[in-house]
Amino acid sequence: MRIGGCQLKLEQRVTLAGWEAALMSILAIVFALFLFGFVFILDDVDPLSAYQEIFSFAFANPYGLPLTINRFIFLLLCTFAFIIPFKAGLWNIGMAGQLYAGALAAFGALFAFGGKELPSPDLSPGIVIPLMLMAAALGGAGVGAIAGFLKGKYNINEIVVTMMLNFIAFWLVAYMIKEGGPFMNPGGRGESFELPSSVYAPLVMDVPFTIFLVLGIAVLLYFLFAKSKIGYQIKAHGHNPAAARYAGISTFKIPLWVFVVGGGLAGLAGYHYFAAVPGVYKIARNYGFFGDLAFYGIICGLISLGNPLAAIPVTLLFGGLSIGGRFVQGKLNMGFGLDYALLGVLMITLVAFQFFYRYKLVLSPSKGSYW
Amino acid sequence: MWEFIARSLEASTIFTVAALGELIDQRSGILNVGIEGVMLFGATFGFIAAQSTDSYLLGFLVGIAIGSLLGLLHGFFSVTLGADQVVVGMGIWIFGFGLTTYIGNPYTGPLGMERVPPIFGLSPFFYLGIVLAAVSWFTLSKTNLGLRIRSVGENPSVAEVSGINVTRTRYLCVTIGGMLGGLAGAIYSLFYNPVWNYNFLMGWGFIALALVFFSMWNPWVLLGGSLLFGTLWQLSLNPQLVLPGLLSRYIWRTIPFAVTIGVLLIISTAWFRRRWGAAKPEALGEPYVKE
Repeated sequence: MRIGGCQLKLEQRVTLAGWEAALMSILAIVFALFLFGFVFILDDVDPLSAYQEIFSFAFANPYGLPLTINRFIFLLLCTFAFIIPFKAGLWNIGMAGQLYAGALAAFGALFAFGGKELPSPDLSPGIVIPLMLMAAALGGAGVGAIAGFLKGKYNINEIVVTMMLNFIAFWLVAYMIKEGGPFMNPGGRGESFELPSSVYAPLVMDVPFTIFLVLGIAVLLYFLFAKSKIGYQIKAHGHNPAAARYAGISTFKIPLWVFVVGGGLAGLAGYHYFAAVPGVYKIARNYGFFGDLAFYGIICGLISLGNPLAAIPVTLLFGGLSIGGRFVQGKLNMGFGLDYALLGVLMITLVAFQFFYRYKLVLSPSKGSYW
Repeated sequence: MWEFIARSLEASTIFTVAALGELIDQRSGILNVGIEGVMLFGATFGFIAAQSTDSYLLGFLVGIAIGSLLGLLHGFFSVTLGADQVVVGMGIWIFGFGLTTYIGNPYTGPLGMERVPPIFGLSPFFYLGIVLAAVSWFTLSKTNLGLRIRSVGENPSVAEVSGINVTRTRYLCVTIGGMLGGLAGAIYSLFYNPVWNYNFLMGWGFIALALVFFSMWNPWVLLGGSLLFGTLWQLSLNPQLVLPGLLSRYIWRTIPFAVTIGVLLIISTAWFRRRWGAAKPEALGEPYVKE
């Protein structure tokens, strides 16, 4: 294509520098937010003021900010659950099922300590909380392990398996908390029994302690991929599983490892939302909504290109957007599902932008101009 | 009991139509993991169109049209731009899931139209499913076009050399696949369960995807598989009809998904692969770049 005396053409990228990738991701987000503006216009809402409302509620409002931070912790764990298998070239879309399993396991540990009894028992938080965390991680890891084992051993498509596990876990939660299930709330409201106040997760300046956990995991994962042997093996498997096998990397162990660790982190996300966020402290009736939210993890993982540290600002932004989206939806009388629509628009924009990760537009003075 | 069988056949029709679309995609070498998104779009827009015009025909046509557009979108990203087909498919699924939740929400509730009348006591779409399976089988294995589609899916560069237009063939297949996906969604929302609710599919599209894997890419096997899963799905919804009082109804809901994993496990064993494994299109999921 010619523009004046210059020629515009597409060139395949050989390498992608870090700053270029970052720029591309920012452009993708900005473009998606621009597209999403049309959703507001179609609903007769001024997009600029809507965005202003979203951001000021999510990041500058004393009620909104804690919600944003809690969702950020949740999304970051889900993003890690996606990133780790993604680095090995595998797709974990089973964060929802893994987090349900994590939540069930955490409440199972509590149940074993008599947490369901009324009046609520005085449990020792120093013992019960670490056990709940461990149970949550093991629960999520167990569900992840099924997908990892089937992929590693029999090469079964992990997308289908993790999705099937999502639905299995979804109905298992329903079984446990509804219609006389073992974890049913004594009030019978279709939700689980409530956490005794003695084992509420400790808060640091109104934020659950899980924030330190998740930020620590981010740093740990960064070093895992940058420095460690297993990190190298995971990346090698992601580039070319066949070549990795010839290099002596187990094509059974790596899929299993990434799904176990990823699933464990998603399980912690289940603990976080149902046992650590102030005001929840039970497996809520709308637990399916949190499973749906987990799909933001896919988007955050793709935008941050699998970099655990880059995932931090990205998930903070999307945590805020989804909280703020819900808020303006109520405030401006828009239809339900604004945060879902944002999820969809972001995803498809991101897919379109994948193209620019591989090609670039080059503007060069044309030789032998026809003009 | 008769009603149970009739309902099972209605359910299996949806699996048949959606999975046939995916099978045609995959035969040409294109993997669309976002079939659930295509179905959600077809179902939602078909529902809205039918409800606002009071015409079933228009509803189904809109469902098919939106499906073909999504098929073209998938084709544009994965054939023209050569993007990773799994990324594109996931994109279309989440796009469908997110956007239909928002768009369809004002229409939450029953369709409020008279049901499509049955033919000989069975759903008219059941016959349509059989016809579609027969047509796909005949086209894929007995005609020149089918040979071209299969060769593009097996080895696109060899196909190109022998004079087949790979791009055009693949676009044709993704468009037809999208149309069938949209139609399957519309059958769900206009006939099988004419009530709109957000994310109502709950895994139909993903089971259809799994069905293609274990159909050995053969339309007749696929038809049999969808009958099995339609029955299983219906049983999981109404276990009291067959085995009253056994297990909680929520546990029954997990069974179609658990069986899917079990069947995938069986077809992935070394024995099964040695016996049947060659059926998989060789170039499935790999973008083709013309040299």
